[in-house]
This record gives sequence, C-alpha cells and structure tokens, in this order.
Amino acid sequence: MAAALEYPLTEAQSGLWFAQRLDPANPIFNTAHYLDIRGDLDVEAFRAAVDQTAAEAEALSLRFVERDGEVFQTLDPTHRPQLQIVDVFAAADPVAEAVAAMRRDHETPLDPTRDPLAANILFLMGPQRFLWSLRVHHLATDGFGMALLTNRTAELYNAARGGPAPGPAFNPIAKVWEEDAAYRVSDKRTADAAYWREIMGDAPEVASLAPGKATTAHRFHRIERALPPEVTARLRARADAGRLSWPDVLTAIGAAYVRRFSGAEEAVIGVPWMGRMGSVSARTPAMVMNVPPLRLTLDEDAPLDEQLIVASKALIKTRRHGRYRSEQLRRDLGLIGGARRLYGPLVNVLPFDLPPRFAGLDTTLKVLGTGPVDDISFTFRGDAAPALTLEVDANPDLYTLEEAAAHAERLAAFLTNALDAETLGEVPIATPSEAARELEAFNDTAHPVPDTTLTALLEAAMKATPDAPALTFGDQTFTYAQLDRRTAALASALAARGVGRESLVAVALPRSLELVIALVATLRAGGAYLPLDLEHPAERIAAIVRAAGPSVVLAHEDIGGAFGEALLAPADWPLDGAAPAVAQGGEDAAYVIYTSGSTGDPKGVLVEHRAIVNRLLWMQAEYGIGVHTRILQKTPATFDVSVWEFFLALISGGELVVASPGAHRDPAAIAGLIRGHAVTDLHFVPSMLSAFLADPAAKGIAVAHVFCSGEELPAELRDRFHQTVSAELHNLYGPTEAAVDVSYWAAGPDDASRPMPIGWPVWNTRLVILDERLRPVAPGMGGHLHLGGVQLARGYLNRPDLTEDRFIPDPHHPGQRLYRTGDVARRRADGAVVYLGRSDHQVKIRGLRIELGEIEAAVIASGLARETVVLAREDRPGERRLVAYLVPAEGYDPAALKAKLAARLPDYMVPAAIVALDALPTTSNGKLDRKALPAPVFEAAAGRAAETPTEKIIAELFAETLGRSEPAGADDDFFTLGGDSLLAVHLMMLIRERLGRDPGLGALFDRPRVAELAALIDAEALDFDNGLGVLIRLAEGDPALPPLFLIHPAGGLSWGYRTLARALSPRRTVWGVQSPALDPQNALPDCIEGLASVYVDHILALGAPGPVHIAGWSVGGIIAQAAAVELERRGVKVGLMAMLDSYPAECWRAEPEPDPVDAMRALLAIAGYDPTQYPELRSRAAIVAFLKAGDSALGGLPEAALDGVIRVVLDTNRLVREHHHRPFGGRTTHVRAALDHKDRDLTPGLWRPYSPDLDVVEVPFLHPQLTGPAATALIAPELDARMTAFEEIAR
Amino acid sequence: MTKLTPQDLTLERMRADVAAVLHETPDSILDDDNLMDLGVDSLRALNLSLAWSEAVPLEFSELAEHTTLAGWWSVVQARLRAAGHDA
Repeated sequence: MAAALEYPLTEAQSGLWFAQRLDPANPIFNTAHYLDIRGDLDVEAFRAAVDQTAAEAEALSLRFVERDGEVFQTLDPTHRPQLQIVDVFAAADPVAEAVAAMRRDHETPLDPTRDPLAANILFLMGPQRFLWSLRVHHLATDGFGMALLTNRTAELYNAARGGPAPGPAFNPIAKVWEEDAAYRVSDKRTADAAYWREIMGDAPEVASLAPGKATTAHRFHRIERALPPEVTARLRARADAGRLSWPDVLTAIGAAYVRRFSGAEEAVIGVPWMGRMGSVSARTPAMVMNVPPLRLTLDEDAPLDEQLIVASKALIKTRRHGRYRSEQLRRDLGLIGGARRLYGPLVNVLPFDLPPRFAGLDTTLKVLGTGPVDDISFTFRGDAAPALTLEVDANPDLYTLEEAAAHAERLAAFLTNALDAETLGEVPIATPSEAARELEAFNDTAHPVPDTTLTALLEAAMKATPDAPALTFGDQTFTYAQLDRRTAALASALAARGVGRESLVAVALPRSLELVIALVATLRAGGAYLPLDLEHPAERIAAIVRAAGPSVVLAHEDIGGAFGEALLAPADWPLDGAAPAVAQGGEDAAYVIYTSGSTGDPKGVLVEHRAIVNRLLWMQAEYGIGVHTRILQKTPATFDVSVWEFFLALISGGELVVASPGAHRDPAAIAGLIRGHAVTDLHFVPSMLSAFLADPAAKGIAVAHVFCSGEELPAELRDRFHQTVSAELHNLYGPTEAAVDVSYWAAGPDDASRPMPIGWPVWNTRLVILDERLRPVAPGMGGHLHLGGVQLARGYLNRPDLTEDRFIPDPHHPGQRLYRTGDVARRRADGAVVYLGRSDHQVKIRGLRIELGEIEAAVIASGLARETVVLAREDRPGERRLVAYLVPAEGYDPAALKAKLAARLPDYMVPAAIVALDALPTTSNGKLDRKALPAPVFEAAAGRAAETPTEKIIAELFAETLGRSEPAGADDDFFTLGGDSLLAVHLMMLIRERLGRDPGLGALFDRPRVAELAALIDAEALDFDNGLGVLIRLAEGDPALPPLFLIHPAGGLSWGYRTLARALSPRRTVWGVQSPALDPQNALPDCIEGLASVYVDHILALGAPGPVHIAGWSVGGIIAQAAAVELERRGVKVGLMAMLDSYPAECWRAEPEPDPVDAMRALLAIAGYDPTQYPELRSRAAIVAFLKAGDSALGGLPEAALDGVIRVVLDTNRLVREHHHRPFGGRTTHVRAALDHKDRDLTPGLWRPYSPDLDVVEVPFLHPQLTGPAATALIAPELDARMTAFEEIAR
Repeated sequence: MTKLTPQDLTLERMRADVAAVLHETPDSILDDDNLMDLGVDSLRALNLSLAWSEAVPLEFSELAEHTTLAGWWSVVQARLRAAGHDA
C-alpha cells in the first residue's frame, strides 16, 4: 500500500466535505448498517475476513488534511477499522444493548481531519446469534461500496470455510482518484455539462411533498414497508411486457406519485446513480455515487405503457451523463444558497443491495443510515424476486413521522394501483380511508337551523327589545322601535313601487343611518338588496344597474343618469307606514353582491335567506353574540363582510355602530370609534389590521372579538395583534358565493400555526379538497377547494352560463351542488384547511377580489392596446402591485389609457404601472412567458446599488471574489453570481481582513445577498458597540447566585476576562466593569475613588443577590479594592474581593513617567501580544495597523472606540499615581503570578496595611498570563470555593 | 423457463441477451462496442448478470468494471473455468 499517496477531494467528496464542515456537529454523514447473523459463526474466520476486507478497502483508512485552504486525503493505516469484538452475552437484553451501542456510535459526529472514518464491531449475543456493525463516514464510501464490503467479507469467509476461491481483491483507491482526475479534464465532462444545461436550463421551480427548506437535519425518520409478492410479480410482468427494466418502472411510478402529490406540471426528482458501470469503482469501496435530476412530465391521460417507455429513455440518458456532479450542476444553474432546488424527493432503486450470503448462516441486513436526507427519499431495496422493501426516509424538519408513514402507505397503494392501470390519471392518490375522511369525517357539520328568513329574525328582535339602542351613527341613536318604524315606512313605499319577493332594490348610499334603513326596509318589503359603491366610477355603477335591472334605486342622486325613474332619494322616504305582509321563504333572494368578473363584466352573486341565516346564526352561537354586543360597521356594503356587520347585532338585540364614510381607512378614527362606543366586535381585512396595529392609537384597545377575512392572515400579524390589543382574533374564510364565510379558525395568542389555517367548516357546510378529476386528495396535498352545503349562493344573476361553470353537481353527494372556489388548499393532519393560493388569475389587493381578466378586458376596450396581460407583481415582499403589459395600438398614449381605465374600474383595479412592449414574450410552445415580462420601472429595488458603507465593501468583495469588474448590487446573491463553496471560504476570509468581522460561512448560505450580509455584519458591529458599556455580561448563569464583577485593567476593557468568566463552576453570571472614558464623549474620571463609586452605583443598580463578589487583574485589582471599600462604606456586604497580581499605588508613584509611546505599546499587551517582540511598533499608526491586521478583539474595534482605549491607557498612570488606598475590612484574596517579579520585590504583603485579612494564592504564571486559559484553570476553582464559602456564611 | 446451464452460457448467448435488452438484433452488437454507449446502464447490466448467474456464480461488480461484450465474456470464462467447466 502506498501510504504516502495524497489526493485532493474528489468531485464526489467535495459536496459532502462542505456540508459536514458547515455543520460539524451533524452525525448524519455517518452511514451504517448491521448484519444480524444466526447460526454457527466461525468467529476467527469471520475476523480474518473482515480484517482482510478492511485492508483491501483503502477508503476505510482515509484521513483528511487541511493545508493552505486546500483539503487532501491520504491513507493512514492507523485508521484501518480492525474488527472489535464486544460480548453482550450477559446483558439483560443483548440485542437492545448492541443496537443502543451502535446507535450511539452512529450518532456521534466525526471530524474527518481527526477521526478514523470507519468502525467494524461484532457483538456476541449468544452462541448462535451475532450482530456485525459497520459504520463508515460518507466521505469514504457510498451505499454500493457498503454492499461491496459485506459481499467481499462473505466471499472471504466462505472461501476460508471451504467454499470457492475468492475473486480478485478490491482495486486500490488511487485508481478511483485517477478516474476522478481524468474525468475533471475530459471532453466527456464538458459534454455532460452541456447536456445538463440543455435539459435543466428551463426547469420549473421544483415542487416537493412538503413546504420548507430542504437542508438535512441531524437525524431522519425511517419507515419500512415490505411490498407483497403479488405486487412484485405484477411489477416484473408489467416491466417484461414492455421490455423495460423493473427498476425503471418503479422509478417512473415513484415520479408519478411525486408529480401528483406536489401538484406540479412535471416531476423533478433525484435519481441516485451509483456510477459503477465501466469504472474501477465497480470493485472499489469509495464515495462515487451522484444524484442527478430527472424531469418527467408524465401525461396522465396517455397510455401508461407509453409513459413508462418515455421515463425509461429519460433514465438511460440520465445515467449516461450521471457522473456530472449535481453540486456542480447547481452552481451551473445558479441554484446554490437560496431555497431553489435542483430536485425534490429522491426515488432510489437498489436491486444490488441484497444481504450477503454467508455459508451456513442466516443473515438479515438492517440499514441504519445512508447519509443526509434533505427532503424525502423513497428507496426500493431488493431484487423483486420477490423481496422488495419500500423505505421512506424523511427530514424531520419537513415531515412528521406520521406523514412519512402515510407517504409509505400511499405510495405502496399508488404503485399497486398503477401497475394495473391503463393511464396514470385513473389512479387515485388518496387511500380509501383518506378519501372517506376528506369527504365525510372532516365535514361532519350537520346542525339544526330554523327554516326562517333574515327578515323574520330582524323583526323578531325589533319586537323583543323595542327600547334598546339598535343603531348609532355619530351622535344619533335609533332604538329598535325607531328602526322598526322607519324601515316599515320605507318598506311600504318600496312595496308601493312594486318591490316584492325576488325584486331587486339597488342601494347607493354612503355609510349613514339611511343606508341601514334602506337595507332592512328592502328585506321587509320582500326584496333583495343590491349595494353599489359610490366610490366606483359612474360608468361601472351604470353598467351594473343596467345588467341587474333593479325595481328601485335608493340613492341621493341619479349617478350618471342610470337610475332614472327607479330613483327614490332619502329626502322622499316616508316616516310612517306599515310594512307589507310578505310570505317570504328561505329560498328567496336576500341580496346580490357584484364581484369582479374574469370576462370583463362584473358578476352579481345572488344569496338566499336560508344561506345567510345559517351563516348569521352560526356566528351568533359560535361567538356568543347577544344584547351586550356592539358591532362596528365599517366595511363598504359592496364587500360581503358587511352583511354580518349590518345584521348580526340587529338580530341579536345588540347595537350597530356605523362608522362615518371614509373612517374605515383611518386607524385613529377606528380606534376612536371603538373607545367612544365601547365596540365589542369588529372586522379587519388583514392588511388594514396591520396598518391599524402600527398606529399608536391601537395600543391597549380591548374588545371581545376581532374577525379577519378577505385575504391571508399572516402568522406574524397574529402575533403582533396579541402584543398590541386585548381581544380574541378569529380568521374567517369564504367567497361571496357561499354567504360570506364558510370556515373559521381561532387565532389566539397560543396558536403557533405557520401558515395559519382557514380552519374548520361552519354549520351545515362542507369544505372538500379535490383533484382535477374531482377525487379527494390526500392530507397535506394541494388541491382545489370546493364548498358544499346550505350556504351556497343560488348563482350569478342572469348568467346561467357562469353559474353552471362554477356551481357543479357534487359527484360524491348526488343531488347536491359544489362551488368551485378556484382556491388551492391543503388539509393539515388534524383536518384544518390551509389556503395555498389561486388556481387562476384572480388576485386580492387589500382584501378585494380582482379578476385580472376584467382589467385586461378594460385595457382592450380602451382601443389603445392590441394585446395585453395584467399581472399582480410582488417584487418586494408585501408590496403587491398591478402591472399592465401591452402592445400599443394606433394612437396609444399611457395617460389617456390610465384615464379610460379609471373611468371604468374601481381605483384598486387600475394598474400601478403600464409597460408597453413590441410583443408579449412567449415560451417555445407559444404560451405567454410570464417570467420574461420585465419588472416595471418603479422597481428601483430590483437593481438597487449598495448604499451603506458595509454594503459597499461587501459589494466590492463579491466582485473581487467572483472576478467581476462591477461591484455587485445590494440585492445580488453571491451564489447566483457564480459563487461556490470554495469562493465562499475566500469571501469570508476577505470579510475578516477588510471588516474585522467573522459572521461564519453558514451566515453566507443563509444570507447570500449583499444587503442581507451587510445587515448581519452591522448588527454584529452593534454588539461590539454594546460591548463598550460600563457593564457587559461576560457569562450568564444561575440568577439565584450572586454575580461576580470583574473590574477592567489599564485599557478600560473587560473582554479579557471572558475565559475566566466561563470557567466558573457552578455557572454564575459574571459582569465585566469597563471604563466610562472608553466613550470619547465622556469625561476622564477624576480619581480612582470617584471611578470606584461610579462602579458601585452600576453594580447596585442591577439589584442582583448579594454578597457582592468583586475582582480585578492588575490595575483592576486596585480599583476592585477601592470599590470594596466604597461598598463597605455604604453598608453593602462584600463577599470575594480578589486581586489578580495587583500591587499598591506606592509601588508605582516613584517610577519615572512612562513615555507616551510605551503607554501606546501597552495596547499590544492588552491585545494579547508580548510588546517586547515588536520593538519596531513605535507609533500610534503602526500599532493600530498591526492590531487591525491581527485577529484580536481590539483590532476589530471601531476607530472611535480605539481612541477611547488609547486615552484610557494613557490616563491610567495618572490615576494610579494619585491614588491613596483606604483600608478594607473584609478579606483580600491575592492571586500572585509567582513566576514574575524576579527583578522587583512585589509581594502580596504590601497590601497588609490596607487589608489585615490577607489570603494569598500563588500560581506558576507570569503577570500577563493570568487571564489566559491555563492560569484560569487554576484560578477559577480557587475563586469558586471562596465565593461559595461567602455565600454559605451569608445564608 | 428452463434453467440456464453452464453450457448454455456462450458468447453468442450473451450477445443475444444484450441485444434483446437494447431492442436490437444480435449482429449489431460487436465484441468491442462500448455497451454503455449503446444504452446498457447499470440496472440493465445487473439484470443480465442476475440472469447469467443461474449458470455460474457471477459478481455484478466484476462485470461492471468492463464496458464491452468481450470484457464480460472474459469474466464469465474465468468464472466458468474456476467452476470446472470448459469455456
């Protein structure tokens, strides 16, 4: 063996090396298995076979060396894993004992520069039972290599026991290195790179089975499931029939499962590739395997046999280019560092990984770990003749154990069904029990509701509490009796104009008493109300009135001349009259609300009494709404949230508080209304809630309930809510088409859900998540949210075509309907529904529903554009803006277009930017290429230049590291610009040099953008600044223990005590006390006593338990003594008072004044250098430059702080010389640097005049060494013992 | 299907099996063609080695080191000889 051989990391090892380096404490890079052996094992023959295999498998003896920033591997015979034999015969449960030992070993992280990478242990369980454990770091071998090791051991064992002669030994590892070297410079690699760029260049965003960042945890979930022989027989038969290999069939169906579950257009999976064909590594244990990506579109409607052939061909091509590292491919594609991925789950078929055949023995193989699990891996292990096991390994950060188990069960069922299917489309994804839960158990909402109308509920409340306040607007209040009289009068007038059941009454009134009267009166006349928003353009209002044809319009004036004879203004409303007797029923229309329509015209949703009665009575019961309730009405009547605001209080005997027009956008006005009217319940659209909470007026608001709906309620907002106001918070969800809300979720302060669900169905309501074929989806999987039950709207007014499209027959409940929401949702494991997004181009801005198609139609209708597409862009998080892209027509003028759009669309639908293009970009298959649409010019963010000083430096360092001529922009991503792990190390080095900061390599991976990294570094700098306060916490410990205060030495800083502070046991809080004069703004202290008094003030202000322990090194000891005197003077109990090698002031008074340069040079000592070694440093500039180049904390100080240190050093001599000690009545502990002071007679005894009770500890160190780790190891226990003794006395 | 015997396992038999996996005719597979270039990947090679090991013990890893039919035949010949069969 050529032990002196050395080779850099192979390409295959590099990714693992950096992953382990980023997370050195992570044991997941240990691969391990054990063989359970039953029978008469010849232990000596076995030992010989294992040791021989270990000798042949050189990779097991690898050692890694870092030198000059490069990594090398070499062979170290001392690392060879000779078989250890462990006898657990005597253990109560030998198997448990052995497995626990293996697990401990397997879960111990390895340092590849130090530790042997492999271990071989044979556990003796009993006369006929053995467990052979093999654990190898992934840098040394992959799964195929593990199989080689066990098979070779079996071959050698069998030969020794009289079996056939063994085949040739393994190849030397150097041959694998040669292949690596040859491939790196080969044309093949160039061709492979080109192939992968071609295949993956236009890959979509990769979807997986669970949201979250796919970075391996320290452990993984493992579920194993044997596939029955009839399934493997079917698998082989289907593969043979198509002349396919069965592993490829498994991979294809696994990909189909991933594609279906993720809901993506294509599956992008990782397909582990062992890289052995035509390679010396076929007979060499080594880390060779790679995980190339596989993209499969898998047309679910095409014959499955065809799709399997397509998949098989794709796999053949993948393997042909399989050697090209996926890490390199990530870099090529710019997929490093962020959340973007090369592939989702892995599908791995391991037909070669069978238990080795040991003659005369029964063996079973148990795999403990195969390396990192970034996301989820589906491994099929076995030869399918008939043994085949499905193993699901899942990252516990992304999946629960139950979810992993459900995937195993579901994939097994999907596979079984697919093997008999003509097309993938016919294979359901949910198991039968999952389907039943989705359709029934999660929707068990039947609840009795009286067969009545909203009108009847309102009239009953009017009779029940006639004198109670019903309605307040400004300083006017109506009782229920007054409301009854006014609404009856208007109802009679409406009836006189022909309003009755199924009539429409349009209401175009600002928020006012009249508005509420109009709505109630319309219902009492038997009609349905149609609200119009006065803030909408007249053209739009007129269009709705024309389409709906209301019998009467209740408005102050005829907007746009559209109302004509139908107008009935409040001025003309009668004040008295009897409400008509109308035989209203639950199926009658109650209201019609218009929403944006994708085809260009708004559409009117007609809701019946039965539906809204269910919704109101549910809410009344769920939230205890009653006579005590005061609801704030602030939502425009055209937004259906207003429906419960208007009526819930009025059917419950409570009070409706109507906000003035415009108040709903003014947080201070809302807060004023809540406080002024003691409002108990109100609603916010989440974006408005966010603005409300940000207003100081919101602070301390207390109400019963706040309801949110209309858009997603972010978890952060929930948390901010509970910090600001006192109220229950509820997240409601529902479209206008299902009577306001159909689901609810209590977002209390204890709710930790992220994202927050929309929750559970309300009474008599079903929320079902279905796939394209209207089959239930599996829990956790995205699907189309459909609604069923009593709250569904009748449909769209006068648009049976639209109604038929959205309200469909329920295939699972004959005779019932489902409403297709267009929302995409998933079911949590507990059954709560989580909203994921839209399946179409509907967007919401400030809670308002917008069909982009309606805006596009308006753009085309302007005649100024030939083609257009409108998008809601969110180029900055939380800033969603509408952008219209268009191809101009004759006479195009952006200002004219904007004016035309404003005349037709509500303001929130008018695009914020209009971008004219020569043509709309298309993809290769002719579809609109949304990604290619440019960001509009208002997006300065997209290319913001580096601005802050730190950003500018980082931007330059990015450019320097990456070899770019221009500095990077503030939002540029290091990895997107071409950075890789090695360049990252280089960048971090430059940052250390240039900025004196070391945020760590991991920080760059988390924050790869210039601005993010700069912000992190600035935040750390802030900590440095904080580290200059009078008190800094050096260690945190048991708060019940009295802290120790360590007084700064000459430099004024206490950082030098960090080692000592952390070495104390028991751990106690240690405070460093530092000079206020470090801040150049503060005056220099007058004298040591004055300084000590200031320190005592700070110490006592903490209010920590006593006695006060105090100590200091060098000058710090002098100040500590003065502080102890001051504490004593103030009657405060002093515990430990220790000086580390300090001597009284009179020893220094007679010394000559130090040269200012020498004082400056004291800085070197403070920074931990020996000044005598650097005689050439004779100026401030030279000393500062030297410190900055080094790695001491002083070098990292900002300039101003360094100035502070210098002036404190220079001033210390004066302070000490002028100081006169006063006696201290307690005990003085003196720690003497016994190796120092050869040339002067400095002894602890010099303190005796000031401290009769003198306690001396000698340590064999020099004065400057006392705060270092070696001296600390001796000093800390001495101080511990004394502090504990003082505390016992004090007790 | 009858069990494959050591006598059955000839170069021509192996050529025919490789051709079948590739959906090709046997005469299009030459002794020194790179089988990987023709589309024989590791899984296909594994399946072939499993089929042939009915006749003689074969380690997939030994076959996998080679990329030509001639190379594979040399491995099989060595194994046949070791098992006491003329090849």
